[in-house]
Amino acid sequence: MNLILIFISAAIINNFVLAYFLGICPFVGVSKQISSAVSMGLAVTFVMTIAAAVTWLIYHLILVPFNVQILEYVAFILVIASLVQLVEMFIRKVSKPLYDTLGIYLPLITTNCAILGLALFAELRDYDFMESLAFGVGAGAGFTLALVIMAGIREELELARVPRHFQGAAITMIVAASLALAFMGFAGLLSI
Amino acid sequence: MSTSAKMILVLAVITALAGAILSAWDGYTQPKIEQHRLEALQAAIADVLPAHDHYDEVQADDMTLYVGKNSANQPVGIAFRAVGSGFQGEIAMMVGVTPDFEQLTGLAILEQIETPGLGAKIQRDPSKPDDPNWFTQQFQGVRPNPEITVVKNQQPDQPNEIQAITGATISSRAVVQILNTSLEQAKQAYRTSKQQVS
Amino acid sequence: MAKQSVSLSREFGKGLWAENPVLVSLLGLCPTLAVTNSAINGLAMGLATTFVVVSSGIIISSFRKLIPHQVRIAGYIVIIATFVTLADRYLAAFYPDISKALGPYVPLIVVNCIILGRQEAFASKHHPGRAALDALGMGVGFIAVLFVLGSIRELLGSGSILSFQVLGDWWTPWMVMILPPGAFLTLGLLIGLSNWINEKRATA
Repeated sequence: MNLILIFISAAIINNFVLAYFLGICPFVGVSKQISSAVSMGLAVTFVMTIAAAVTWLIYHLILVPFNVQILEYVAFILVIASLVQLVEMFIRKVSKPLYDTLGIYLPLITTNCAILGLALFAELRDYDFMESLAFGVGAGAGFTLALVIMAGIREELELARVPRHFQGAAITMIVAASLALAFMGFAGLLSI
Repeated sequence: MSTSAKMILVLAVITALAGAILSAWDGYTQPKIEQHRLEALQAAIADVLPAHDHYDEVQADDMTLYVGKNSANQPVGIAFRAVGSGFQGEIAMMVGVTPDFEQLTGLAILEQIETPGLGAKIQRDPSKPDDPNWFTQQFQGVRPNPEITVVKNQQPDQPNEIQAITGATISSRAVVQILNTSLEQAKQAYRTSKQQVS
Repeated sequence: MAKQSVSLSREFGKGLWAENPVLVSLLGLCPTLAVTNSAINGLAMGLATTFVVVSSGIIISSFRKLIPHQVRIAGYIVIIATFVTLADRYLAAFYPDISKALGPYVPLIVVNCIILGRQEAFASKHHPGRAALDALGMGVGFIAVLFVLGSIRELLGSGSILSFQVLGDWWTPWMVMILPPGAFLTLGLLIGLSNWINEKRATA
């Protein structure tokens, strides 16, 4: 039950993009078409879940016992960077079609604040292993959701007359404002 | 030197240097950070307990209790941290009760991410500049017998009632629900701790 | 290459407007949105980020010939993460209230694309003096945007700037400004405005 709470909270109520401002760079950059948004979202969810698991293990099995929590940021980012490399190599070997759809987005994910943010938040909230996993899947799902909605809107915006100076990032931000406002309505979804 | 060896060596050196610098910095900053944490904890405890000489930290039943004692080493109140789900996210609070758990001695909201201007008033109400902490202050003296309940738009007339914030019923109810649950747990934990000593 | 012909003041100044990391290059948007709910938070985050980009820029530039190409990203990341840890722990130890307000967004400076971007594009190719100027310019440009954004949001959302009550009781605060929608909206408007200003200056 608690895991479902964490999942829904991360995906909808406290959406990683629209409430915590994580993953904005790909949110602006890769949200022009629904198909690429879906691919990016899946790639991110995949990496997030593995990253949640691996960073949890590194923190609780290595950093804490040796009392070197100060190395947290260095360790986490190295883990995430290596993870992305490994995932890319793995996908390329295992499934060429999958690599063709997802592969190009993977290098962009290393500096995606959503992945590091996920690892940091999970540690701050003292989640156990399963909770971190649920958190990772939920965060990825929420990121994909926000990205796909934004892509859908931007595909429509192509046909609209956006003022010249607001084309591109500016109008995306303003659209995101209304999305964020809409998502605020989910507060209290799971409360008493 | 081959390129692979050079790559590994350079990375190893960078990481070793980073580790050394960070360890030194850790030694320098960690005591101060710990001190801030302790000060914040002591301030929260002082906020919710009646006047006391010192407090003892007691672990029982997976809970940490802070038993405030007077100079004669008699318990005058028990403080503990309670966490639970609010409207938007988690609410963390420090609760103070009398040693017999009959009355609350105080409540302090430590962390919350409720809606600013509405649910956030559980921590501080800027619309009442003379009395911004009215919500938590009304818990002083409340008797959780059998449990605390919430009333809306009227002054509480029973000793176990508190008034909800207008427009923030859910946040108010969440605080009370967390309180009721945690009071039971703390009561149990305190009983266990007294058995541990004897 | 035209490297030497770029004046030192231009090296610094480009980060302020022409190549402003946020408004023009659209980098570092995560912290820009997250911690600008008040002017002081924006300022503090800007200063912390500037510290990291300048110090890591100087180090990376100084050792640029020693770091093999293939591992440069990993190496840069470790160096950047080290400086971010230094800044984060410093804030937690000496300015606990600010540290609490900025929260987990300070460690997220590690993945702030501005920093890795500058090191990769500039610091790794120029000597420390220029690298420092470039980094400083970017940092100051970043601080400026964060401060302006933070001030606007704080003014409209709380009626104050830097905690000084500027607007009196007659003003009903626009709560939304300190919430996520307000962040997105203000940044979007700022970007649109800067595009408009740039176009005006180009055609003037």
